[in-house]
Amino acid sequence: MNVFNITKWVVTAMMLFFAIVMILPFVWMISTSFKSPAEVFVFPIQWIPSEIIWQHHIQVWTGDQSFVPYYLNSLKISFACMVGATFLSALAGYGFSRIEFKGRETLFLLYLSMMMIPPQVLFVPKFIMFDWMGIYNTHWALILPGIFTIFGVFMMRQFFMGIPKDISESAFIDGAGHFLIFWRIILPLSKPALATLAIIDFSWHWNDYENALVFLIDQDLYTVPLGLQNFIFESNIDYNGMMAATSAGIIPMLVVFLIGQKFIIQGIASTAVKG
Amino acid sequence: MMKMNWNQRQKWIGLLFIAPNMIGISLFFIIPALFSLYLVFTNYQFTNPIVDFIGLDNFTRLFHDKLFYISLKNTLLFLASVPLSMGLAFIVAVILNKSVYLKGILRSLYFMPYITSGIAIAFVWMLLFQPKNGPINGVLRAIGVENPPGWLSTLETSMYAIDIIWIWFMLGYNMIIYLAALQEISPELLEAGKIDGARRWQTVRHIIWPIVSPTTFLLLITGLIMTIKTFGIIQAITQGGPGNSTTILSLFVYKTAFSYYEMGYASAISWVLFSIILLITIVQWYGQKKWVHY
Repeated sequence: MNVFNITKWVVTAMMLFFAIVMILPFVWMISTSFKSPAEVFVFPIQWIPSEIIWQHHIQVWTGDQSFVPYYLNSLKISFACMVGATFLSALAGYGFSRIEFKGRETLFLLYLSMMMIPPQVLFVPKFIMFDWMGIYNTHWALILPGIFTIFGVFMMRQFFMGIPKDISESAFIDGAGHFLIFWRIILPLSKPALATLAIIDFSWHWNDYENALVFLIDQDLYTVPLGLQNFIFESNIDYNGMMAATSAGIIPMLVVFLIGQKFIIQGIASTAVKG
Repeated sequence: MMKMNWNQRQKWIGLLFIAPNMIGISLFFIIPALFSLYLVFTNYQFTNPIVDFIGLDNFTRLFHDKLFYISLKNTLLFLASVPLSMGLAFIVAVILNKSVYLKGILRSLYFMPYITSGIAIAFVWMLLFQPKNGPINGVLRAIGVENPPGWLSTLETSMYAIDIIWIWFMLGYNMIIYLAALQEISPELLEAGKIDGARRWQTVRHIIWPIVSPTTFLLLITGLIMTIKTFGIIQAITQGGPGNSTTILSLFVYKTAFSYYEMGYASAISWVLFSIILLITIVQWYGQKKWVHY
């Protein structure tokens, strides 16, 4: 028994070593953002800077290319998309799982088949349509499409199908309609699933670089990924500044991950295994 | 007014729940997709207001375009990262599932890159891969590699460097799914293996691997589809270069449309991309029964 435990600890140490190698890019990023320019590429790598320099971080937040507006833009867009997408997905997911009607499965199959269309097919026509609609180069170009997600509908449907039928049956007998059941019974039961979808959706939009790249031009509309790219293109060899800016882009996601990882992990695992 | 029967009523209520979402899906998915199908047959250029119907000329041009074949090759190289990442993830998942302490912490650490990294981390990798002074080549030199690769800076190695980033990124996701699948295996089955005297790796090879084959298949298909749609990470660090050595199909579409404003031509390329995804999906549809063994 004792021997077995030692083996288990050895394996644990080994896996811990590889895990730390996995997250070294993050460690290097943070370490570099506090170093002096001369220490960036010193080898052997100096993980702990000889002197902690805050200047690069201060520059990122208060310099002439401050990240504050990028943050506010990203927060606004991600939050709006998250709220809209979670609610509309729950509504549609309910319709696809707990109301039986003719043609439901066909309609759902149509939904799923739309997932095959890559964003590259949609960029050009959306670019032209948004220009007509007058929302090209505005935040609406990201928010409006962002509140409609096929994945979200799929995920909510899967979850709602797992809730026993009897739960809404008795409410029906009492004369409650579908909307009341959805609002008073099903939604409160689905808090974990709603939280999972909300977190996943938020992180998508926070990290969304491709749509912002296509639909935004003006720098004052930039989200964090675009602002970051801009910062990097202009800072050439200011590696410390680059890493301070990158940290600014990543740290909110780290916080979201640390708080919500239980939901995220369960959510991702459940959609894939049941799907 | 005619009175609706119960079935019809159900249908209208059902549609009412779906309608808000469906309006958006139509507006931002279905209509643009149909619009794109029209653009495929035109020479639409953003800078030129005159649009001609040119039939299949865009496809003729595409099949004579050298860059198309280069981008296809690069796409294949990029897709190769999917099974590699899955293989590593499977090994990590099997070990984490039964043979370690601190399982929760380890799982979080391996999963971290997937959830936290948008393109931001790509810029970190850009510096890590620096051929002259970067820390990766620093380590390689320290362990005795005399001419470490140029990574993102040479034609021959750039796509492999991108693959490494992508493998690193996808590993955590694949691992989580494998872990979920491993937890569904009944302990009795594994016990039976032990009683038979099967060695640990034989248990993995002959019991665990076949049981999780549906998961492997699912991960392969979704991973391929997700990877083929990606271009942000490459656009951010190499813009498809050096030369065209990291121009994959999806980036080729983006550049044709938004760097050269050849919207009609870009639409044609994007439907080739769609055809590949369709093909993968069809393989999934029919392959599921054939290749998945319990």
